Amino acid sequence: MKYELVSGFETHIELQTKTKIFCGCTTQFGGEPNTHCCPVCIGLPGTLPVLNREVVRFAIKAGLAVHGEIASVAKMDRKNYCYPDLSKAYQISQLYAPLIIGGYVELSSGKKIRLHHIHIEEDAGKLIHRHGDTYVDYNRGGVPLIEIVSEPDIRSVDEAREYVEKLQQVMRYIGISDCRMQEGSMRCDVNVSVRPEGSETFGTRTEIKNMNSITNIVKAMEYEYDRQVDLIESGGKVVQETLRYDDVSGTTSSMRSKEDAHDYRYFRDPDLVTINIPREEVEALRAEMPELPADKCRRYIDALGIPEKDAQLLTKYRRISEFFDAAIEGVKSPKTVSNFIIGQMFRRAETESDKEQFDLPTTPQQLNALVKLLDSGKIRNNLAKATLEKMLDTGKPATDFISESDMGGVDDNALLALCKAAIEGNAKAVADFRGGKEKALKALVGNVMKNSRGKADAQAAEAKIKELLG
Amino acid sequence: MVTREDVENIALLSKLFVPEEELDGLTKSMQEIIDFADAINNAPASAEGFDCINNLSNVFREDEVVPSYPSEEILRNAPAQAEDHFLVRNRE
Repeated sequence: MKYELVSGFETHIELQTKTKIFCGCTTQFGGEPNTHCCPVCIGLPGTLPVLNREVVRFAIKAGLAVHGEIASVAKMDRKNYCYPDLSKAYQISQLYAPLIIGGYVELSSGKKIRLHHIHIEEDAGKLIHRHGDTYVDYNRGGVPLIEIVSEPDIRSVDEAREYVEKLQQVMRYIGISDCRMQEGSMRCDVNVSVRPEGSETFGTRTEIKNMNSITNIVKAMEYEYDRQVDLIESGGKVVQETLRYDDVSGTTSSMRSKEDAHDYRYFRDPDLVTINIPREEVEALRAEMPELPADKCRRYIDALGIPEKDAQLLTKYRRISEFFDAAIEGVKSPKTVSNFIIGQMFRRAETESDKEQFDLPTTPQQLNALVKLLDSGKIRNNLAKATLEKMLDTGKPATDFISESDMGGVDDNALLALCKAAIEGNAKAVADFRGGKEKALKALVGNVMKNSRGKADAQAAEAKIKELLG
Repeated sequence: MVTREDVENIALLSKLFVPEEELDGLTKSMQEIIDFADAINNAPASAEGFDCINNLSNVFREDEVVPSYPSEEILRNAPAQAEDHFLVRNRE
């Protein structure tokens, strides 16, 4: 029997606010242990948490970016559990009235992965297990998170990968998080179940906790799919449980025993008042939103004539698309700019974080000036390419590397002379062309280009030669 | 009914020291607290009525950093600590 994979994601994203969600301690990553803490975020009795306004704004932006409905009224709840990463023995989160309801992430296939909701909550502290004891650092405790809960709409590991990448991309675009999975500012809990192909009912699901790389998500889902299918095929039953993925062995294992099933006893947090979100505020935030990557990509394809694949590359990172937007100002062909960026500049931004920063020595204005020299016919493509390499090496403008004589181009008289010389010196090519060999023309144009040291306009030369032989 | 033993137990769990002579008074107070909670449970009001605190809404902080506490201060009440961390001993 063939089995279908069914998966839903819970994605935690750390918000880039300056301070924690309920107190004024810094959210800066790292720091000496327990130095970014105060009585509120270590949960001392008698302290009063007060919600950071920016957290609400960032969450609303996240909601707008994924087409969610922004609630008019939202509330904070306590999720009770006893574990040393939370000193209060509860996490302040949202269950009954989250900030964002619904929404979706659209994949390149056009399929929409629906979202159930997005809520805000506090992050827990960091535990270090050493010599059988647990060392607790609460610097991360109270850092604001949004949790994006999807519907079980994902049907393959490829869809899972694209879903995570799309979320990462859009959240970075709107500037609410750096979404670095390795550093833990984006983490996924992955629900996986299988069912016979064609079946309408869901199978029993397992949840793989705290995945911190896309590669591991894919591997863990593949492993878990195989494990569940094997189990069912051999007459067994999938047990609903929480799993941990071990990337060394490439296997999943149970984190908690079944009898330890959680009852979080959620209830309204009496310390925190109701959040009312006026529609005007939502509209003001909507007005602040940048152009989203999907819209940008469509615009590059439709309005600028960029091939789809290239448009996707240009819009994957916000800085790169902004660089492109600035560099195409007033140029004849945006595609030329795109070719320079993808063909030559990408090689110099190898890592993901390089591309995220896209902080190369050449400015968009410098690239723009180079492309305009090309547009005006003052220089040829080969010279432009070589010049860009030098610009990228040094950060200097194009004019530092192109002499006046390079830019002179070739005027009509000179071009005519060059074409005539090419015809006189290449009798065989001329004969071949006259005999019907179109290709022979290339040799003649090549001769003109060579003798003009690349400065002549190849198209003009071709036209002129045809005219002379015509 | 709340007993003296209940109060002793709660004090132990809360890591609070309660002198012998305060036990009777605290037992009585605890009983009153429980009775009060029961009164709330029996009230016929709608859930909405209990939902807001003094009808307050939208109490926010601005996103401005204030200095945190030194780690010695943060760790002062820790039952155990090591290397600037709270230490949770594994009792297994």
